[in-house]
Amino acid sequence: MSAYGALTAAGYRAQVRDAATLFFTFAFPLVFLVVFGLIFSGQEVEETGRPYISYIAPGVMSWGVGNAAVFGIAFTLMQWRRDDLLRLIRMTPTSLPTVLASRYVLALAVGVVQAVVFIAVALLPLFGLELDSRWPLALPVLLLGITAFLSIGVIIGSYADTPEAVAAIANFLMVPMAFLSGSFLPLDMMPSWLQTVSRVLPLRYFNDAVSASLTGSGSLGDIAVGCGALIGFTVVFAAIGLKTFRWSNRT
Amino acid sequence: MTETETVPADPGNRAADAAIHVEEVSKRYGTRQALDGVSLQVGRGEFFGLLGPNGAGKTTLVEIMEGLRQTDSGTVSVLGTAPWPRNVALLPRLGVQTQSSAFFVRQKAHEHLATVAALYGADRGAVDRTLQTVALVDQRDTRVENLSGGQRQRLAIASALVHEPELIFLDEPTAALDPQARRDLWDVLHGLKEAGRTIVYTTHHLDEAEALCDRVAILVEGRIAALDSPRGLVGAAGAATSLLLPPERMTVAEAEAIPGVDRAVLRGGSLVLETQVSGKVLSALDALGGLDGVQTRTATLEDVYLRLTSDAGHRTTQNTENTENQA
Repeated sequence: MSAYGALTAAGYRAQVRDAATLFFTFAFPLVFLVVFGLIFSGQEVEETGRPYISYIAPGVMSWGVGNAAVFGIAFTLMQWRRDDLLRLIRMTPTSLPTVLASRYVLALAVGVVQAVVFIAVALLPLFGLELDSRWPLALPVLLLGITAFLSIGVIIGSYADTPEAVAAIANFLMVPMAFLSGSFLPLDMMPSWLQTVSRVLPLRYFNDAVSASLTGSGSLGDIAVGCGALIGFTVVFAAIGLKTFRWSNRT
Repeated sequence: MTETETVPADPGNRAADAAIHVEEVSKRYGTRQALDGVSLQVGRGEFFGLLGPNGAGKTTLVEIMEGLRQTDSGTVSVLGTAPWPRNVALLPRLGVQTQSSAFFVRQKAHEHLATVAALYGADRGAVDRTLQTVALVDQRDTRVENLSGGQRQRLAIASALVHEPELIFLDEPTAALDPQARRDLWDVLHGLKEAGRTIVYTTHHLDEAEALCDRVAILVEGRIAALDSPRGLVGAAGAATSLLLPPERMTVAEAEAIPGVDRAVLRGGSLVLETQVSGKVLSALDALGGLDGVQTRTATLEDVYLRLTSDAGHRTTQNTENTENQA
């Protein structure tokens, strides 16, 4: 078996054998959907007249997917370094891109399954999400979003040496970003300066592009802009990630 | 013809033929000098022991040889090439015993080893062969988290062997093993040596170093304090043989008066006579009242080791004493 195949298989087995983590990875965004869905059930956003669910479902989904990508790779890298597993890999001829590629394909799989489960629940009459005809465009958006957030996770996982640090740093970034990017509250309800500020956040573009493809809230151009921005963020974060990457805590 | 005959005699070429060639290597961490001008060679097929107290620089030296660390100065050549920076062509020829924590999580023993084998590009059959070698066949389907300490250690050793490397680094491989497992591992190591592998072995067990290693280097405060075969070290150290007598046999002063006795002390309930000429002293004791209750203890590698390592620790004190004696 190739090094890539073996690492991916080992990662897959580790994932499915940890039932609790797997369950909560998928349940976590759903909790937010249920909470916000019930609070704002049947309501529309005053500024636009669109139903609240059409904001919240894509927003919570992209946040949940991004969150899982960040936490997944960050915990893995921190743990592998702490347990000297990265040192083991460092002593084999396997390249770092091969290692990251195996984690990447696992993150993509987790994210896509998360999205499918999430949308299936949001489509229930209780929540009442209606999909636009161009919903398949959400798939490439999803892949680009996971890639961008994975590269953020690489930076956090390379920097943090303990699980506590991973959780603290990742939450510090992801929770405020969720609010500022309109994942939990429609951006249309926020002051215009805040909407401008949110343009520096990757989650803003991820939300907009997912929203535009799933609910038709924007133009095809919005999806293209979102995808372009996510690629740009990926390039920047991946470059920083590869720079901060450490094989061992001791060097 | 003449040329080929002279080649082995040329020290320069012998160096190129060595499995490891370390020359004048120094490494400093902040203000601490971890290695200070270390030079050594490990021959191909040699079983080389690296001994020394904690903090002597063993780990740093091994990590430099493995290519995990860069030297500040000096040169290192491993199997004829430089290990630093990360040398992908060299890595499959090296086997490194991993930490007993370095396992892929939630994998069975054979799954972990198969993953490591794949990282090295080794064939699949290697996994079961290696599990056999380290006697983990029965734990094949046990999750790594559920292995005992000794089993984890053997799986970590298996990670170093699975791709059949030429040069193997083992770090305290018997630390968590029970006496039987320890002897079993010795057999494995003898087998590796017979198969022509080169082994660099870090240990605190001096009996083990004496039994297994062709040569040992004793590292003290970042320098090589001694480097020879265990036998050569014990011999060259001129370490005294100790004769243990029941203390009521004679006084310390009487014992020191016996020709050939270098020193006599009361230790551990015995009168201990240290001598370089045990035969002569034994016959003198025989004449002085028989050899009943007299025990002979010859020097071991441990004595040499303890003398070298405690010398370093008490160097300052001893210097003062010498000055006083001279005055």
